Amino acid sequence: MRPAIAELTPSLFAIVLALGVSAVVVWLTGSSPAAAFAALLEGAFGSRDSLAEVTVKACPLTLTGLAVALAFRANLWNIGVEGQLLVGALAMAAAAQVVGSSLPKPLALLVGLGAAAAGGALWAALPAVLRLRRGVNEVIATIMLNFVAAAVLSYLVQGPLMEPGGRYPQTEALPPEFVLPRLAPYRLHLGFPVALLAAVALQFGLFRTRHGFELRAAGLNPAAARLAGIPVERRLFWAFVLSGAFAGLAGGIELSAITRRLYERFSPGWGYTAIAVGLLGRLSPLGVVAAALFFGALDAGSNAMQRAAGVSAVVVYVIQGCVILFLATFERWRRASAQGS
Amino acid sequence: MPLTTDEAVSSPCGSTPEEPLLEVRGICKRYGPVVALDGVHAAFPRGEVHAILGENGAGKTTLMRILAGEETADGGQIYLDGQPVHFRSPYSARRHGISMVHQHFALADSLTVAENLALTLAEPREWRLRRRALAERAQYWAKVVGLEVPPLASPVGDLSVGARQRLEILKALVRGPRVLILDEPTAVLTPQETEQLFALVRRLRSQERTILFISHKLAEVRDLADRVTVLRQGRVVAQARAPFGNMQTLVEAMVGEPQMEWARPPAQIGQERLSLDRVCTDADPFGTPLRSVSLSVRAGEIFGIAGVDGNGQRELFEVLAGMRPLKSGSLRIHGTTVAARDPKDLLDAGVGLVPPDRRREGLVSEMSVVENLLLHRRTLARFTRRYAILDWLAARRYAQRLVEEYSIRVPDLESEAATLSGGNQQRLILARELAARPQILVAAYPTRGLDFAATQFVYRTLAASAAAGTAVVLISTDLEEILALSDRVAVLYRGKLSKSLAPPIDPVRLGALMAGLEADSAR
Repeated sequence: MRPAIAELTPSLFAIVLALGVSAVVVWLTGSSPAAAFAALLEGAFGSRDSLAEVTVKACPLTLTGLAVALAFRANLWNIGVEGQLLVGALAMAAAAQVVGSSLPKPLALLVGLGAAAAGGALWAALPAVLRLRRGVNEVIATIMLNFVAAAVLSYLVQGPLMEPGGRYPQTEALPPEFVLPRLAPYRLHLGFPVALLAAVALQFGLFRTRHGFELRAAGLNPAAARLAGIPVERRLFWAFVLSGAFAGLAGGIELSAITRRLYERFSPGWGYTAIAVGLLGRLSPLGVVAAALFFGALDAGSNAMQRAAGVSAVVVYVIQGCVILFLATFERWRRASAQGS
Repeated sequence: MPLTTDEAVSSPCGSTPEEPLLEVRGICKRYGPVVALDGVHAAFPRGEVHAILGENGAGKTTLMRILAGEETADGGQIYLDGQPVHFRSPYSARRHGISMVHQHFALADSLTVAENLALTLAEPREWRLRRRALAERAQYWAKVVGLEVPPLASPVGDLSVGARQRLEILKALVRGPRVLILDEPTAVLTPQETEQLFALVRRLRSQERTILFISHKLAEVRDLADRVTVLRQGRVVAQARAPFGNMQTLVEAMVGEPQMEWARPPAQIGQERLSLDRVCTDADPFGTPLRSVSLSVRAGEIFGIAGVDGNGQRELFEVLAGMRPLKSGSLRIHGTTVAARDPKDLLDAGVGLVPPDRRREGLVSEMSVVENLLLHRRTLARFTRRYAILDWLAARRYAQRLVEEYSIRVPDLESEAATLSGGNQQRLILARELAARPQILVAAYPTRGLDFAATQFVYRTLAASAAAGTAVVLISTDLEEILALSDRVAVLYRGKLSKSLAPPIDPVRLGALMAGLEADSAR
């Protein structure tokens, strides 16, 4: 276990450089970078309302980022977080339709979110089995399953799960028993503390328990782990499944706390942004929380930036992209220097 | 033996009557706080084989990499034909006629021999891959340097290590270099392949080329070298010309202290701990299946398994590690048959494993020293508390104790295992395995690539472990090692294990078994 700060140094550098590059981009478009960033900051941290909005955006990113971090730690490239998230949300919507208003709120929420996690886990178990039993490349399998999940969602919200009598391809609103309570007059909801708790639990699990230790060893060097008597396949399988559960939970919480309905464009691509979040957080759960908050702040502040400074919100994608590019570059340098010595 | 000492070496060079082909003066190189080379002077005359001796970390490879343009020196000057030269890249060194063959080959395993050669053989402006022309060029160069080329169409991944090395040497030779640098060329070769390599080196020498080779093995140096330069801690501590006579002086220069004669106290042999009964394994395309291997190892005994690499050593280790299923036969521990499906079955039965490939199988290089010392099923169980929580405090104390007991040199307990030297990595592995108190220890190539001090440490540790009652299986290709340590020796040849020999063991008999000369009569 190394000090977390040292591990996160490359991420901080990448952020600073990315902000620098995007400042140049803003300047080239004829706007003032200072004004743009001021508006961005104001939009993200200017009021309690906007702060709450940051947590709203950070919540699904934290959970999906954890999903990515956990799978990548096991050296399993789970690109299917997006699909697992959709299946999780679907499972919750389905559970809500089945259960209706028959259960008291805490129990209903437990059932609903449990279904979401289970749905995501199941969607991840498929490529996990294919990979560990049959050697099927999990990157390709999970990407494909993303499309399958999106297609299934599309079919269900236009058919079996479509709101009765409605005209829009969306599900009925969740019964109030299935809605996560808000914690303030703002949009801050119970999902965020749940996500934080998940991060702390994962951090503890990975670094303080035997199973976490075995998982990390199995991910980094399966041959050595096997010779140490570690059940490598079992550890990797459960890492993949748990990763899917985190993704599914992200979908469930978003459905329950924010949208309350399921529709085709339910996810703006969290599962993909999650990869950036996981990498920026250096695959460490607490780092993922920080990265998710950063990305959440960018997201929340971008609209304000567009309104106040007239700079397109797309600049945020420039920042996100540059962060990943710089991180990848640092990683390459680090490896090159490690080999040179 | 004409031997110059420290003082003489540091005097200005260049006073030799004949001008050396290649010369270095005052070469310095540091990596951060570590001084790799500290003012190295050396001259390499034309048409000579020049051995560079030294322990691991003495700076041999760094010096050679500087000569090959792969590293730039922080200070000092390289002279070629008396002219100062600067190499900015391996390419510029090659244009000046200096090529290097690395210990770890730079070949693309999934490409064919021809395609690998194309990387070197293609003309700078040639962009189209013309297989036939390349094949012809490869054959031409092979003939010129007198080297047998492996079949051009076969993937490099299928070649034997010796063939891969010949391919590397061919790659290095096609531009007709005047200086060929070989970094520990024999470390991976069988005795026959080594002989072939030496013949090639002598032929190259007769073509007025200069060959620099790095070695740990004194016998090779004596056989092959015209001149020796000994490095220690980045400095030239001795230079000598053939004949070298008593190698003891060179060893002393290399090690820095008189070499200790190593002798094992007589063992207290106990009951049988481990046995194999007519074990066969399935054939696999790149290996040698075991064919009816039987052995029996008793407590307190070191059972040496000699043989040329690739005769079933890997398979035998995997069987003893529980990684490879038996086709027939049985494995017994304390007389009880164990059907091992996984290493954990054997670890639980009291086996400790020192795997053949330290970095790939013995350690998780990205994990810390503490974590690597915990990397054993029984040790992990020992430090697991309620709810599977690891007791890091106790684990760290345990690691600290092992680091001291086994004198593992580490920056601190949290540093990555990758940052340790090979010797310290092996100490770590031995510490981890022995601290788990194995009844049986299976050690494969435990000293491969280690320097003198680390090797001695491994020998002492294995002997002490046997003296404490462990049954030790030692798989090694190093005959001296086998003879020095083992109570009984058997030879693996093409997947068959010979009858075991007890001391006094005649090395010639052992050599014959390793070469397969007695394989038929033994049956």
